[in-house]
Amino acid sequence: MAFIPCSRMAVALLITSAFLTVGVDATDRSPPAPRADFNLLLATQQVVRDVAETMRPYLVRIETVGGSQPPARMVDPEDEKGESPKQRRSQRPFVDTPGSSFEIADGPTTGILYSADGYIISSSFNFVREPLLISVVMADGRRLAAELIARDQVRKLALLKVDAVDLPLPRWVERDEILVGQRAIALGLGFGGERPSVTLGIVSALNRMRGNAFQTDAKLSPANYGGPVCDIEGRILGIAVPMAQRPGELAGVEFYDSGIGFALPKSKVEEIAATLKAGRSFYRGWLGMQIDPNAREGVVVGNVADPSPMKAAGVVSGDRIVAIEGETLHHFGDMIRALNMRSAGEQVTLQLESAGRQFNVVVTLAPAHELGNLPDVAEPFDPSVPIPEAEDEELP
Amino acid sequence: MTRLTAMALTLLAGASPEGGFQVAIESALPRVVKLYGLRVGMEAGYGSGVIVSPEGHVVTVYSLLIEAHRMRAVTADGTVFDAEVVHRDADRQLALLRLIPPPDSRGDEFADPSPDTTPPIDEVNPHSPGGSAENAFPYFDLSEEAALLPGDWILSAGNAFKVAEGDEPVSIAHGVFSARTRLDARRRVRDFPYHGDVLVMDAITSNPGAPGSAVVNLEGRFVGMVGREVVSNLTHTHFNYAIPRDVLREFFQSATSVKDGASFEAPEWASVTGDPAAPSVALSAADLGFRLSTVGYKRVLPFVEFVRAGSAAHQAGLRKDDLILSINGRSVAAVEEVEQRLGTLVLSDPITLVIRRDRAIVTAILQPEKP
Repeated sequence: MAFIPCSRMAVALLITSAFLTVGVDATDRSPPAPRADFNLLLATQQVVRDVAETMRPYLVRIETVGGSQPPARMVDPEDEKGESPKQRRSQRPFVDTPGSSFEIADGPTTGILYSADGYIISSSFNFVREPLLISVVMADGRRLAAELIARDQVRKLALLKVDAVDLPLPRWVERDEILVGQRAIALGLGFGGERPSVTLGIVSALNRMRGNAFQTDAKLSPANYGGPVCDIEGRILGIAVPMAQRPGELAGVEFYDSGIGFALPKSKVEEIAATLKAGRSFYRGWLGMQIDPNAREGVVVGNVADPSPMKAAGVVSGDRIVAIEGETLHHFGDMIRALNMRSAGEQVTLQLESAGRQFNVVVTLAPAHELGNLPDVAEPFDPSVPIPEAEDEELP
Repeated sequence: MTRLTAMALTLLAGASPEGGFQVAIESALPRVVKLYGLRVGMEAGYGSGVIVSPEGHVVTVYSLLIEAHRMRAVTADGTVFDAEVVHRDADRQLALLRLIPPPDSRGDEFADPSPDTTPPIDEVNPHSPGGSAENAFPYFDLSEEAALLPGDWILSAGNAFKVAEGDEPVSIAHGVFSARTRLDARRRVRDFPYHGDVLVMDAITSNPGAPGSAVVNLEGRFVGMVGREVVSNLTHTHFNYAIPRDVLREFFQSATSVKDGASFEAPEWASVTGDPAAPSVALSAADLGFRLSTVGYKRVLPFVEFVRAGSAAHQAGLRKDDLILSINGRSVAAVEEVEQRLGTLVLSDPITLVIRRDRAIVTAILQPEKP
C-alpha cells in the first residue's frame, strides 16, 4: 500500500510539470502561483481521473421499468402503526411543501460487478419502487436482463444476477486498512451517460452504524448509491448506501449530498452477500411490543403483540427493560438506537426488571410480517396525566 | 520512503494547498461582474455575470433582476456600468447584457471606464484581439474549448450573497466537476424549463447572487456559468450546477445574430440528430408500423401491441408484447416518452430500439420508410 501512490504521484508530477512548462510558454500565461502547489493540484486531478477510468469497467448502469412510489404515508413500509404528523415532520425534513411526499426518482442507478459469473452488488435503495423489470448496461455497452436475488433492508444492499461469464472484478481494500482522513472518491452512474460522476471527500469515521459502515464526507445521493467509494489507487473502500440513525427503507434521504455519507466495507459486503446469494433477504428486526406511554421513567413494556418475540420470551406488560445488549435504556430513543441496524433473526439479550427482580432474556428479533396483533386494550383515561408524546406510541 | 509516502498521502488527503488555484482565480476575477438591480419579493436584487466579448457583452441567468431593462454592473476594478438587457431566453433561462458607461456620470472617477481605471488589458486578457482597443473588456472567449473530466478541480467566481463590495474581488468557491448530465429540476414547486445539459459540481454554488458566476478549470479556462437556484428532482437537494460553455456559446451566437425580440433558433438539446439536410419530419410509432399499449395506471409502459406487416417495425423484427427500453441509447419508460423521442428524430436515419422480450434483451434497428 505504501509504494504505489508515491511512485504514481511522482510520475504524475513529472509529466504534468513538463506539460505545464510547454503549455505556459505557448500561451504566454505565466502563473504567478507557486508552481509546486499548482502541480500538486494537477497531480491530484490526474489521480482522480485515473481512478474513474480504472473503475469504469466494473461499474454497471442499472435501469428499471415499472414499479411505484412506496406509500407516502409511511416512512417504513413495514411500520404497521404508521406515524403521527409530528413524527412525519421530524423524520422528513426534506419535504419542502406540506402535503408533497418524497418521490423516489426512477432514473438509472449504479451497481458493481461482484463475481465473474454475473453477480452484481448494488443498494436496495435502488429497488424501493419494486420495479417490474431490471436491466443492466455493462461498461462495454451490453444490456442484460437482471434478476433481483435478495436484498438487505437493514444495511441497504441488494444482489442482482445477470447471465454473463468472465466478468472483470475490481480490487477492494480490506476493512482494517481503511484510515480516517484518507481520500475517498465516490463514483456513480445515476446521472446517466457513460462516464461515472465523481464526488471527492475523505473517510470521516470508521465503525459507524453499529460497526456496519464507515463514514465519508464525499457527497452521496441516488446519483451514486450502489456505487463504489474508492481510494486513490482505484480500489474500492466500500459501497455507498443510504443510512441513518433511524430504521426504515427510506432512512438516509435526509443526508443526501450533505457530507454525511456511509459505505459498507469489503468484509461486511461479503458477509451479507453470502446470505443474499442463497436467496435470503434481511428484514428489520422487531420485538413486537409497545412501550407504556404513562411510565415517567425508563422503558416499561406496554402492550405485547401475539405472536411476537417478546411474547415468546414471556415478557409481560409492566416489565421494565433496563438494557439491550448491555446498552442501558433511559428513554425510548435509547431503545430505538439499540434496535437500529438489527435484522430479523438476530438474537439480542434484554435485561429486564420484573417485580423487583432483574434477569436476562434472549429474544430473536422477528420481521414485521411475523408479528401478530396487539391486544385491543382500551386506554385508561387519566386527566392528570399529560397526553403522551407521539413517539412514545411507536412499535419498536 | 514510507515517510515520503506518508507526506504525499497527507498532502493528497488534507486540505488543498494554498496558492495553487491562483492561475484560475486571476483568470476568472477580471471577467466577472457583480450585478445590482431591483429586489422583488424573495428574489435577490443582485447577481453575477460573465463578460464574453471585448465590447462588454455579459451573459447571466434569466432572473427577475433581468425584468428591469437596466441594472448596474460593477467590474473587478470597481467601475460601475449601466447594464442593458440585449436578449432574454426563457427556454434556456439565460440573458445577455451589454455594459455601457452611465451617461450621467461622465468624469466620475468611479464610473468612467477610462484607461486609468480599467485593468491593464494586455496583461489580463490574452484573448483580446490585438489587446490594444482602449475600452476593450477582458472577456472569456466562449468558442475556446477547455478540458474537463469528472473529478477535475473547478472554481466558481461570483457575487454570492453580495459579500464583495465596491472593488472587492468576488467570492471564489472551489470543488470538483462531478458529471455532465441533463437537468431535471424544479424551482420551488414549478418545473424548471431548461432541460439541456448541465455540469454537476461537487461544490457549494447554489446561493443567492451566485447564479451567473464564472466556472473555470484549474488552468483558468472557462467551462461554464452557475445556473439559477433549483432543486434537483433526483436528490431533492439544492443542485449545484453550471450551464456548459457550449450552450452559452450557442445562446450568445443566436442572441447576437438576431434583432432583439425576434425569434431565434431552437435550443441545442431539442435539435435533430444526423444529416442537417435531411427532412426533419416528426416521426411517430404509427409511421414506423407499430402501436403501443394503452393500458396502464398513471404511466403506460411502452409495450408493443401491434406490428403492421411489411412496415419498418416488422422488417426490424419487432413483435407484439416487446417492451421498448431505449431509443437510440436514451431510456424510455413510458409511452409518451417513446412518442416524444421519436418526434425528435430524422426520417432517414436508422433508429435503434433496445427491447425486452420475455427474459432477453434484444436490439432492433428500424429503417424508417421515405414518405
